[in-house]
Amino acid sequence: MSLTETETAFASVHEDALNDVITAFCTSRPHHLAYGSPAFTPVTTVAETAMPAIAFPGVPGGIQWRIRLSIPRIDLFKQTTPLPPELTLGPGQFSAEIDVELCIECRRLKIDPKPPRPPKGREQDKGTPNDPPRDDRRPLSELTCFKLRVFAIGHIEHVLASTGEDAIALAVDAVEIVDIKPDELEAFLECFLFLILQAALAGIRLPLRALRAGAFQLILAVGPLIDDDRVKVRGLV
Amino acid sequence: MAEIIAAIDEQGANTLLDTAINILPAQSSSGSGNLGPFVASYSVTATLTNGDVDLIPPDIIRLVDLRVDWDLHLSFGIDLSAILPDFCLPQVCINIPCVGRVCTPRICIDWPTITVPVSFGDFIKATGDFRLDISLTGGVWRVQAVIVGVPNLQFGATTALLLAAIAAAVTPLLLAIPFIGPFLAIAVDAILLAIGIAGVTGLLGPILTPFVSGLKIPIYSQPQLFPVLPAESAIDPQVAVTIDLIAAAVVNSGEDELVLSADISA
Repeated sequence: MSLTETETAFASVHEDALNDVITAFCTSRPHHLAYGSPAFTPVTTVAETAMPAIAFPGVPGGIQWRIRLSIPRIDLFKQTTPLPPELTLGPGQFSAEIDVELCIECRRLKIDPKPPRPPKGREQDKGTPNDPPRDDRRPLSELTCFKLRVFAIGHIEHVLASTGEDAIALAVDAVEIVDIKPDELEAFLECFLFLILQAALAGIRLPLRALRAGAFQLILAVGPLIDDDRVKVRGLV
Repeated sequence: MAEIIAAIDEQGANTLLDTAINILPAQSSSGSGNLGPFVASYSVTATLTNGDVDLIPPDIIRLVDLRVDWDLHLSFGIDLSAILPDFCLPQVCINIPCVGRVCTPRICIDWPTITVPVSFGDFIKATGDFRLDISLTGGVWRVQAVIVGVPNLQFGATTALLLAAIAAAVTPLLLAIPFIGPFLAIAVDAILLAIGIAGVTGLLGPILTPFVSGLKIPIYSQPQLFPVLPAESAIDPQVAVTIDLIAAAVVNSGEDELVLSADISA
């Protein structure tokens, strides 16, 4: 069978090259993988995306949080990278392995004896140096983080890049975190990260032109398809 | 297997080379050459049009009936005295009463040398084999189809038409010469006979062959530091990958295809 089959042009990119392009994207624009509320990320930069704190009554300034994703490592069908038994990589799918770090600023809040009033800022609520030290109390402010390895499977969607070119994006279908108890907590975190990963990976739009290293013009007719560890497209010159 | 593979079939290659050849700039040259016994100075401009592509493994692109459209401006001098017989008005004498015998002098015509400008345009076709040439120069990867050898140019009716154009250019010049009337047909025939088909092909061949024999058709040209996405804002700078290797070949895996392959790194 010819490469072009019934079309006149063909292009394919192996998962190794796809990972190189994703790495280049995430290295140049790391803010797509790092998000934080103002205590962590006051303004959006090339490195991080500033997000609002999680508002909650009685927590002045809201709950401060940060999430950082590693550069995803993509495995295109057929399966090369081991997956948790809960996930099966089917034809036309990719799997992704991503490390996630979630942090919150854990603060001790001071109860105001006066009637409730509008907040005046965080400085009033951090306690005073005269507070008696007590070993069983949390510190005034503590960065609390944990890291997870997340596995996801998904498919590729045909989208337009920011330049208006034909592009692909990684669409997440399912997420799996291994061995968290209770199961409800695992399900909760999986759903939370499912939302995060869908949104984050959808922002990584890779032009098909780049995935064929600029060789030949191709008006897309078939694909993008995942097959034999490659993303394949066919079309007209 | 290469990390990135791009392929086109012969139909795709036809489209690709149509575009690649169409954007080649018109080529020009000038000089002098032999037009039969005459020395002609010329200037010529040529443009190319793609023919039919035949992909031949492992690395040949054959272009059948590659067309070269050309416009030729040439100028050559003809010493008519070398072509036409000497022509003299004989001496005429008459007897005039009271004056005596009066004779006119014998007048001989010196046939001049004329300069003949000819403008002519036509096309020729050639079939050539092109081999794939890959290079990394100045940080740019290039794949070109470079013609192999010197193709045979098919002149067809061009030679006869150019002779007719020369005849059309010579005739009004001759008509302006006094006393040439009876010799006009002789002069034109003599000039065309002197040039002949061989003279035309002998001039056109060396002039037009270089337009084809040195032909390089660009197929691929990309910077080694390949831009995936341009810089879009202060927080979205350019994204680029490095093209480490480019290869090109004609492969038959069911049909003949031109295949470019690349390896990249982040």
